[in-house]
Amino acid sequence: MAQQTQDVPAAMELVGVDVAYHGDIRILRGLSLRIRPGMITGVIGPNGAGKSTALKALYGLLKPVAGDVLIDGKKVTGLPPWKFIDHGVALVPQHRSLFNELSVDDNLRLACWSFRRDRARVEAAMERAYAQFPMLRDKRRDMAGSMSGGQQRFLELGRSLALQPRVLLLDEPTAMIAPRISAEIYEFISGLPAQGITVLLVDQNVRQCVRISDHLYVLELGQNKVDGAAADFQKDSGLRDLIAEWVDYRIDA
Amino acid sequence: MELLILNGIVNGLIVGSVYALIGVSLTLLYGVLRVVNFAHGEFVIAGSFFAYVLFTGLGVPPLLALPVAAIAFFAAGWGLYYVLIPRLSRSDDPELMSFLMFYGVSITAAALMLLLFEADSHSIDYSFTPISLQVGPIYVSTARLVALAITVAISAALAVFLFRTLPGKALRAAIMNPEAIQIVGVDIVRLSAFAFALATALAGITGVLVALVFPAFNAFSGTEYTIIAFIVVVLGGLGNPVGALLAGVVFGLAEQMATVFLPQALAQIVGFAILVGTIFLRPSGLLGTSARK
Repeated sequence: MAQQTQDVPAAMELVGVDVAYHGDIRILRGLSLRIRPGMITGVIGPNGAGKSTALKALYGLLKPVAGDVLIDGKKVTGLPPWKFIDHGVALVPQHRSLFNELSVDDNLRLACWSFRRDRARVEAAMERAYAQFPMLRDKRRDMAGSMSGGQQRFLELGRSLALQPRVLLLDEPTAMIAPRISAEIYEFISGLPAQGITVLLVDQNVRQCVRISDHLYVLELGQNKVDGAAADFQKDSGLRDLIAEWVDYRIDA
Repeated sequence: MELLILNGIVNGLIVGSVYALIGVSLTLLYGVLRVVNFAHGEFVIAGSFFAYVLFTGLGVPPLLALPVAAIAFFAAGWGLYYVLIPRLSRSDDPELMSFLMFYGVSITAAALMLLLFEADSHSIDYSFTPISLQVGPIYVSTARLVALAITVAISAALAVFLFRTLPGKALRAAIMNPEAIQIVGVDIVRLSAFAFALATALAGITGVLVALVFPAFNAFSGTEYTIIAFIVVVLGGLGNPVGALLAGVVFGLAEQMATVFLPQALAQIVGFAILVGTIFLRPSGLLGTSARK
């Protein structure tokens, strides 16, 4: 398994990336991540490890001061965030990314901005989102901000799916979400590879992240600590201890 | 007395509708770009001079100057965006730098107008026939009524754009959540340039109307309109276009009624009283929502 996950070319990649705030404070130092196609790649680590920063660097929301971002092996470092959809990459950030005073329908429609003139494609994209989360269809005229936290998260997920991404980047998709809805969300995420969607999952919920990921990265202080096939993390007691130590969570064997 | 009050209401609506346009353009600019344009009043007065030059130089009447000003100011705003804003994002503290920069733009614009038109007051010597119309028991200058009709039409068009079209919704979405608008694939640089150009075009149009509604303007009048714009924007709630339209009319009415009921000196400070009162009592503005929640 470990061998297999090492050798496939990456759908998306960070290569030796440094990200700095205010000139000199390095949040990421030489970080490398490979998002393997057709799999769920999990990223865990303690608070301040740079998990969200890594995701922002991947999506062009932060510009690396060193290193590169690759999509299918091609350099896209410095590409602005709004171009990633054209490359088949979508992001669901940790913080609410909806437009509260627009309807559910308008939120979805705006996500189709880059192909807004292709009416048939827009309708198909919206239909995909509604088919995935039928509850959204009932609320299509409601303001996005009037829905519950879980419903808003479904809208964000539906919106990203509407774009038919090849790669979906998820930042703590169940933060501040009720447990029952969380379970539903993890169920949904683990089904994505079967739909041909490659996933990067950054999560504080170590147990779930380890459970549904195929490959895992552990970050610490903006650097790679260790990585490997998720199965190895569950088997190898050394790796289990490492996780217990670094992210304060013990994986059950 | 009733006539005076009626007069105050009618003039308040007219003046207020002009204030509303000044405010709505400044609030859109702030909402999308998160910069405060201290030069907004100068842009408005530049519109007045634009109409003045077209009329005295080429004989173009103010109503025809409106679309010309809209196009010219839109283009100027688009260009100015790319000159000014990319430099800001390279600075260590873009927010602070934006204040200094727009203050500089304000001084530069006023100085340019001073160079071109000197310090004298100007007015456009143009009148409609008949020169005034009867509204109920009072007479109102035709120019003012025409200006009112135009501001109402522009406000309605703006509302349709913002609430019924996808680009308008994108603009409002950018105000609601500036980071999220980028991840749904909207080019925030182009959208910001468009917002800057739209705000500048609205300022130019308003300037033409200012020349119609108010007796005179000069190179230094800009500051006055910048302050009015700030009052309207704060009263309407930062980044809230509907609030700004409403606040403009409320402020215009308050100002005109103050001249009816209060002594001259007191009437002058009504605007500041509204500004300070809003900040203390209802900091999120009339409609209770602001861009930054």
